[in-house]
Amino acid sequence: MRLLRYDRQYSRRHFLQAVRSGAVAGGVLMPLWDAIAQNGEAAKAYPEELQSLEAYTRGRLKAGDEIDAGNVELVKDLLEPIKYQQIARLGRRLKVVPTTQDIMRLSPWEYLEATVRNRGLARFDAQGNVVVEGGKPWIGGNPFPAPQTPVELFAGLTLSWGRHDASFYAIREYDLAASGEIEYEYESGWAEFSPVARVTLTPKPYWPGREDKLRYQSVFFVSPDSIKGTSFLNIWPYDQHQFPELYGYVAAFKRIRQFPTNQRFEPLIPGSTLYLSDAWAAGDPLYTWGNYRVVSRGPLLASVSGAWNAGHPNWQHNTHGGPKGKTFWDTQVEFVPEAIVVEAEPLKFPRAPVSRKRVWFDARTQLPIAMVSYDRRGEPYRSFDGAYALYESGARRVMDGQHPYWSWGHVHAFDIQTGRMTRLEQVRRISGGHDFKVNDPGIFDCYLTNAALMRLAAS
Amino acid sequence: MKRLEKTLLAMATGAALLGPALASAQEESQGWFSGLDYTLGGFIRPELVFKTGDENPNNQDGNPYNGRSVQRVPGTPVPGVNALSFEIPNPLLADTIARPIASSDNWTSYHILRGELELGLHFNADLGLVARVRGIYDPGHYDEFDARSVADDRGGISGGDPALYQGKPNYFAYHAEGSGKPNPLEWSGRNYMVYFPALFFDFNHGPLNVRLGNQQIAWGQALFFRVFDVPNGLDLRRHSILDYAQEEYSDKRVPSLALRVGYQITDELLADAYFQKFQPTVFGNPNTAYNVIPAQFTVHDLYGNYDNKFSYGLRLKGNYGQWGFQAMAVRRYNPDGVFRWTASGVDKALPSSNPLGLVENTLHPTGPIMAQTAFEASPGGVYSADEWFHYAAMVRLDGVAGLNAGIDEFQPATGQLLASHADTFNAAHNELDTFFIAAGGSLRGHIAREYFQENVFGLGASYVTEGEPGSILDQLIINLETSYTPNRVFTNPSLSRNYLREGNSISALVMEKYYRFTQAFPATYFVFQAMHRTKDDLFGRSLKGYGGTDTSVPTGLSGGSNYLVFAFQQPFPQDIYRAAFAALYDPKGGLLLQPGIKWKPSGPWTIEAFYTYIDTVYGNPNNNALSTAKFANEGTIRVGYQF
Repeated sequence: MRLLRYDRQYSRRHFLQAVRSGAVAGGVLMPLWDAIAQNGEAAKAYPEELQSLEAYTRGRLKAGDEIDAGNVELVKDLLEPIKYQQIARLGRRLKVVPTTQDIMRLSPWEYLEATVRNRGLARFDAQGNVVVEGGKPWIGGNPFPAPQTPVELFAGLTLSWGRHDASFYAIREYDLAASGEIEYEYESGWAEFSPVARVTLTPKPYWPGREDKLRYQSVFFVSPDSIKGTSFLNIWPYDQHQFPELYGYVAAFKRIRQFPTNQRFEPLIPGSTLYLSDAWAAGDPLYTWGNYRVVSRGPLLASVSGAWNAGHPNWQHNTHGGPKGKTFWDTQVEFVPEAIVVEAEPLKFPRAPVSRKRVWFDARTQLPIAMVSYDRRGEPYRSFDGAYALYESGARRVMDGQHPYWSWGHVHAFDIQTGRMTRLEQVRRISGGHDFKVNDPGIFDCYLTNAALMRLAAS
Repeated sequence: MKRLEKTLLAMATGAALLGPALASAQEESQGWFSGLDYTLGGFIRPELVFKTGDENPNNQDGNPYNGRSVQRVPGTPVPGVNALSFEIPNPLLADTIARPIASSDNWTSYHILRGELELGLHFNADLGLVARVRGIYDPGHYDEFDARSVADDRGGISGGDPALYQGKPNYFAYHAEGSGKPNPLEWSGRNYMVYFPALFFDFNHGPLNVRLGNQQIAWGQALFFRVFDVPNGLDLRRHSILDYAQEEYSDKRVPSLALRVGYQITDELLADAYFQKFQPTVFGNPNTAYNVIPAQFTVHDLYGNYDNKFSYGLRLKGNYGQWGFQAMAVRRYNPDGVFRWTASGVDKALPSSNPLGLVENTLHPTGPIMAQTAFEASPGGVYSADEWFHYAAMVRLDGVAGLNAGIDEFQPATGQLLASHADTFNAAHNELDTFFIAAGGSLRGHIAREYFQENVFGLGASYVTEGEPGSILDQLIINLETSYTPNRVFTNPSLSRNYLREGNSISALVMEKYYRFTQAFPATYFVFQAMHRTKDDLFGRSLKGYGGTDTSVPTGLSGGSNYLVFAFQQPFPQDIYRAAFAALYDPKGGLLLQPGIKWKPSGPWTIEAFYTYIDTVYGNPNNNALSTAKFANEGTIRVGYQF
């Protein structure tokens, strides 16, 4: 018989105590980022029972097993509530894979390097914006790898969504009814571009003359025909009290039009359950939400690896579950030793359909690994769970400079009140010759100006 | 109802046959486009209109004088004393006439099958080709006028393009004199039209975007009202301007061969310039459902003299946070064109079967003389002075001045026919009846359409308000656009060749707001707009032709014209249903209401239904712009399948 130095109750007590005390930084046995800084792994920060699912369940479930309705009760406390319902009632299954130990496989290499390099240099200015000494904008990586407050967690996430200086995601979207039928399919492109906090693109860390901007971001649709050319361009001020400017090309109007900046809870296209506000679980400026607080913490099953389908030439994923076998992406999950659950309320959206959202952060990377929002009555409303991947599978890999590409692979956005599901997947290419791109400076002119919207409108 | 069933069946069959054959695609290195990346998509859509209003009075079979007895009292044309000839009525030669054209009673005014297909070719990261082809088929089956039905009356209708004036209505053909193919990328006939709304090369490099080829250009931020939207004319065949108001002319702009260059000068500032072949607005053909030129006219479209002309312009658009600015300068041919009397060229004598015609023919052989006037002694024209004045007022012309221009500007031919300048309404009335009787029933009028170059300058500003989050004054988008055209050329209400030339200003104030009434529904979109035009109406007609009645000449409108729009759209959750409403109000008494709903039951299918109601709610109908389309009270259903 092997004696555990720290029993199950030790970590549970630690997490409860941390929530009560308001502490945010990760790690049970030692500060998490001290452990990571030593050898790039988080293992030293956690007791053995938090090293794997097998250890946590005392061997009842392990890597290689599948979680389904028959065994989901064993891991109920490792799942956010809507994902649990999906497995228990709607036929969703999760394949368990080993926990990724190498932190460099859990985010873009350059981003993590900058996180280590710039650790301790970030602070909030008088307005609450993240700055470095001298009040200049942030210089790259996660500003608060060992966060002390929940706002710091959200600040890091809001500063950089995709963790690349520039990204263009080619996306296929499927909107399903509660019957499990796919009712709408779309192809779209999503572009993100950082003029500050740049770690790869030159000039860095700032694009001169644009230090007052945080992000340029656009989404546009290339099919089907009725929606083709519809696009929205957000230009984010660095000041996180201000709403982004929002421009759009609406196919019916045949021209670029300015939109109200607070239209962030509206359906962009028929059938979709996604809002602009949902992006990366932090789709709005930091201080348009508030009352950030840690509500719980502990281990979680999450898809932080394996979401790239290297076997499909266009990276498209397979599905299962739901009434027609089409409702859920095939998903791999791994045991995340510590997730920090932060709740926030929309302060500047008095008529938003949500009253609060709850976001699960991986304490090691501060990546959002799940989100659940609640309606105005406080009932669970929608969930948003993404899956990430290092785009490397055996001999196959997609390169981002010197290192394999890291990004998201697929997303579920589910409305538990209506049963409608929106599935998104990142693919290699969408119609119109738009290929995925990363850290390509041409993304700006291609997708992120008014001229670009005009061009994307095609005919 | 059998006709309705047949029509629906034909459309549904067409859609079913074509749908599977046109699968969407995104392919690479296959088939015809080997080595190229290409995309293909489009839709098929039957469109059906249920009429609830009157027949179009601009058409032969919708003329309110059909079958209605009207007394005609001529004057007494006396050689040498023309000035007195028509002041005194001559009851001895008076008669009574009923316009001998059968009226129609259609349940539908429009039913078509529309198909659109778009091909995108991508040669490399910078260069592509966009080709969008639009095909429309109208099976007909309308109760409609056929010019051959009056062939036995004085040899039938003789002048004008035979394809437009001497048979059944031609729904789609676009003919202009002296231009074999007015729109080089259009193929059209009585029942069909196929054309390329877009066929252009698209080159992008950095902030530069160049498009070369057939294309539409939409400028400005104002919806419904066209202030900056000046590069293209409108194609008013098909459903005229009566489609879903909130679609905003997307189907109507006439594409043109053009070079368009866009350059993003800075993050905030965009320059957009074009140089294009001049393409005019295309009006509905005679006797088609939404024709706006009375069928008693024969139009000679002289676009052939202008089809080698060009228009060009530059717009600068800047966005600075809450503020936006734009400015434009355009040198163009006004695509709407202007109209004037023109010699008919129809050598057809006044019949001698009536005393007046007999006298005329005794004095001169009238056939060659009539050819030199703007009139043609044929059926299907104006039969009485009452009809003349009714229509003159209806289309914003001056019945007396129009008669005089038709006489004075075609001397000596008109003098040889004993026509003379009318100084009073009564003299004009008598003179008109004189010649309608002399013509053996009716006269058709011939008018020419010409185009003039003009400069248009515009300025615009927009501002997004900031208020208490969620309040009615938060995120209100205010947009003001104004344009000025010095010496714009207008059709003279007399149809004189001496066109009106006036500086014209058009301004629009637009306020838009998205507002969430409940958390359960997405935000409602509201728009309020006000437009002021100094010299013309919503359709570009001079205000000097306004205010006429059946018994009086127009008084004109002073102070310009004004229009108000209120519209909203209410998406339902997930935007699967979207209800919409639009109201356009002319403070002179005109009102257009259009409620509608759009239903998207699944990805491929879209079903739209809307009802259009137009009426004059008070005052003289000829004082408001909307009465022109009063006949078009109707419901429309469109069922689209996209692939």
